[in-house]
Amino acid sequence: MLATETGMLGQVLLVSLVLGAGLPVLFGLGLRAMAWGAGGDAEEHPAGVAPRPHPLGRALGVLCFALAAAGVVLGITVVVASGLGYEVGLGGGPLFVEKS
Amino acid sequence: MRGTGTARTVGAVDAATVILVLVVVVALAFDFTNGFHDTANAMATSIATHALPPKAAVTLSAVLNLVGAFLSVEVALTVTNAVVRIQQADGAPSPDLVQDGGEALLLIVLTGLVGAIVWNLLTWLLGLPSSSSHALFGGLIGATVAGLGWGAVHWAGDGGEPDGILGKVVVPAVASPVVAGVVAATGTWFVYRITVGVAARYTERGFRWGQIGSASLVSLAHGTNDAQKTMGVITLALIASGHWTSTTAIPVWVKVCCALAIALGTYLGGWRIIRTLGKGLIDIAPPQGMAAETASAATILVSSHLGLPLSTTQVTTGSVLGAGVGRPGATVRWRVAGRMGVAWLITMPAAGLVGAATWFLAHLLGGGVLGAVAVVLVLVALSGVMYVRSRRDAVHAGNVNDEWQEPARQRRPAAAGGVR
Repeated sequence: MLATETGMLGQVLLVSLVLGAGLPVLFGLGLRAMAWGAGGDAEEHPAGVAPRPHPLGRALGVLCFALAAAGVVLGITVVVASGLGYEVGLGGGPLFVEKS
Repeated sequence: MRGTGTARTVGAVDAATVILVLVVVVALAFDFTNGFHDTANAMATSIATHALPPKAAVTLSAVLNLVGAFLSVEVALTVTNAVVRIQQADGAPSPDLVQDGGEALLLIVLTGLVGAIVWNLLTWLLGLPSSSSHALFGGLIGATVAGLGWGAVHWAGDGGEPDGILGKVVVPAVASPVVAGVVAATGTWFVYRITVGVAARYTERGFRWGQIGSASLVSLAHGTNDAQKTMGVITLALIASGHWTSTTAIPVWVKVCCALAIALGTYLGGWRIIRTLGKGLIDIAPPQGMAAETASAATILVSSHLGLPLSTTQVTTGSVLGAGVGRPGATVRWRVAGRMGVAWLITMPAAGLVGAATWFLAHLLGGGVLGAVAVVLVLVALSGVMYVRSRRDAVHAGNVNDEWQEPARQRRPAAAGGVR
């Protein structure tokens, strides 16, 4: 009787961990990259030698933020679609599947 | 409407109609307390870290709840089927409960809702986040047991989908804080590791936006999930009394009223609960706030997507605790967490007792209009007492972020007028 629930919980934990911890990690990496990209006082540094700005850092930062934003958009899509009676299929098939 | 007829049928129809009106009003009141109770889930962390000013936070959350409530066209008509047997599988009320104009079923729903509201208000008074769904289920179970006996309780599913009290209440209640806590702790730990050495000025602003985004997602998900439950309950009452027949659609006015009730409740904000969740458990910093809300949003969405919906309240609390555990050197006030745990354990029995007691009261008074009116008067009286009591140490947008003091010490100065 509890086997179904336990199995589902394992799935819930795994997927939640990937999304719920993954997005903050992406966001943190984005901030880190932006700070590296900005140079100067954005990062802690020894007195007197301000780090140079790195354009690559900005690019990486923007990429991380874009990925994180995409995650949020995916979340909203799931909410809206399931509200309208569709499931979002991420297994390679059609994106929106009508719920059975 | 069945208006004209002999004087006698008019009287009979009116009795059921009066009870129906009471059910609808009380259901909307429950929806209101649901929004009110759950503002904290989405916004407590953003308010505590000053990512958003308190009023702006509750307004944003209210708007998103309103939008969320309208987004869901799915019919949650079978909401009571999870825990009791007063409906058939397709959502139609059990035939034996709808003789005499549906009064039997209406009375169970009415007293169940009263049990849920009383418990929601009491936990609000104590500043404890507790699940509104559990309160609703508890109230309905209590009223059903009182009215129909233990046989009408739906204990567990048949091994397929998670169902019954075990699958829909017990398992999610135990799992929610654990799953969300693990996710939030992991996120928090990584975020602190990754941003070591980045200037605070840089991280603060970034995490502020991260928090607002993730909290908005929680609000939207809440609106789509929770408003539906009240819509389902009201529609069930309408079917039972013969004012609605479809089991696949919900009247537009029900949807509008429920959406407005939950949004209004959210906007008024249960400041006492926001305070406990935002300031009581841990002293929350922006990175923790973002990690906690993202963990909450992910867990809520993933769990309902996979068919094992977890309680929003318990998920959020678990996330906040996890964010405290995941930050090296942070303190978690486990005593506050323990009080919440106790509140969760007794939510269902307590709401059930109130539901059962009010059902017996209505039954003693004949179960008709008199009984229903008496039950509603009891509800109004209890709510009034709790409201008046809450004014003694009111928590509002102005003091929600004051330094946390343990309640034992908080009470003494309150008596002397020391605490706002």
